[in-house]
Amino acid sequence: MHISEGVLSGPVLISGIVMAAAGTGIGLKKLNYDGIPRAAILSAAFFVSSLIHVPVGPSSVHLILNGLVGLILGWGAFPVILVALVLQAVFFQFGGITTLGVNTLIMGAPAVFCYFIFGRLAGKGPRLALPAAFACGALSVFFGAVMVGLALTFTEGNFLTVSYLVVIAQVPVMIIEGFITLFCVAFLKKVKPGMLPGHSL
Amino acid sequence: MKTFFLVSSRFHPFILGAVFLTSLCMFWPSSAAAHRVSVFAWIEGDTVYTRSKFSGGKRVKDGDVLVYDLNENHLLSGKTDELGEFSYKIPRKTGMKIVIKAGSGHRGEWSIPLHEVEGLSGPEATSIQPQEAASTTPGEAAALSRIDLDELRRVIEESVDSKLKPVLKILIDTQEAGPSFRDILGGIGYIFGLMGLAAYIHFRRKVSEAEKEKAGSSIHAK
Repeated sequence: MHISEGVLSGPVLISGIVMAAAGTGIGLKKLNYDGIPRAAILSAAFFVSSLIHVPVGPSSVHLILNGLVGLILGWGAFPVILVALVLQAVFFQFGGITTLGVNTLIMGAPAVFCYFIFGRLAGKGPRLALPAAFACGALSVFFGAVMVGLALTFTEGNFLTVSYLVVIAQVPVMIIEGFITLFCVAFLKKVKPGMLPGHSL
Repeated sequence: MKTFFLVSSRFHPFILGAVFLTSLCMFWPSSAAAHRVSVFAWIEGDTVYTRSKFSGGKRVKDGDVLVYDLNENHLLSGKTDELGEFSYKIPRKTGMKIVIKAGSGHRGEWSIPLHEVEGLSGPEATSIQPQEAASTTPGEAAALSRIDLDELRRVIEESVDSKLKPVLKILIDTQEAGPSFRDILGGIGYIFGLMGLAAYIHFRRKVSEAEKEKAGSSIHAK
């Protein structure tokens, strides 16, 4: 889902940078620095996740894990994802430097959005929390794909066709990530429920 | 089981992390590359051959190939076939930039510098004086000079091209090796380094706040 260099026009890149900077600023303020190891581990997981491929038709897609990052960190997802994206761009030449803002927005905004929708439910009993976790993981990827379509619309036109293609390609990832988020939330509920947002919201 | 969790309750974030990273490593053998699209191009004779792949090794089928000259003028376009390949005859002697677009915002490019294109055989091949002419009989000298030197140059180029083909294939493969273990460790190292820095700054801030509070309360006490 990373957009490469040279695809998007200047205004799109700049607005991406501005919005991602705003999100990162809020994220840095709201980040729980006492629990910073968890932010680092989530950043490392996000960093590595793009190496896990899911072959889909003619191309292949990769895991993103923004749902899990958003659910556990909330607004903190922005700086965490930004750091991981910078390192992916530098070490893997994955994505681009000019597209850092847009890519951070594409993956961070859905994460925060799903945190606001599902965060409260994650603290409740397993009947509510586990489906909420699955939905959070899956919908974060879905909204990310929609945002890719939105970003590409300004260059390639026709929002519906472009988004449709991107979303369809991401469906396997959505399912896999739904399950990953579900298992992680189930594990955390038993082991350290305080990490889940429902307890502090 | 319960006691295990209670005892390790302090390290929960790290246990989560360890479980995470181990399970991610378990997926390792299936594919070990990041997701970008790259195009590789080489010249054989008067044709440019291109091959486009996703960095996991998958060929780009039906991708858009656009060829520009060094002044960003569009020369020609085409589509990659089932093997991710697309070839075209060199339109004119200029450096070229080949761009592959594989949809969903994936783009890669490859540049062919002018000197690679210029070095090809063409009508402007310089003539070489056969040096054996002085030592041979007049009849043989005539036969020698009748050899078309352009023909000779073309034959040499063809054999060099065919010898280079396997070497180029090796180059393509090494270029697509994808992120190495070293890259991954480097990235993760940076993440934990940043974590340490942030934790340290946070700690210093806490300490100075605690000191201010102490100073404040001792003033009140006085």
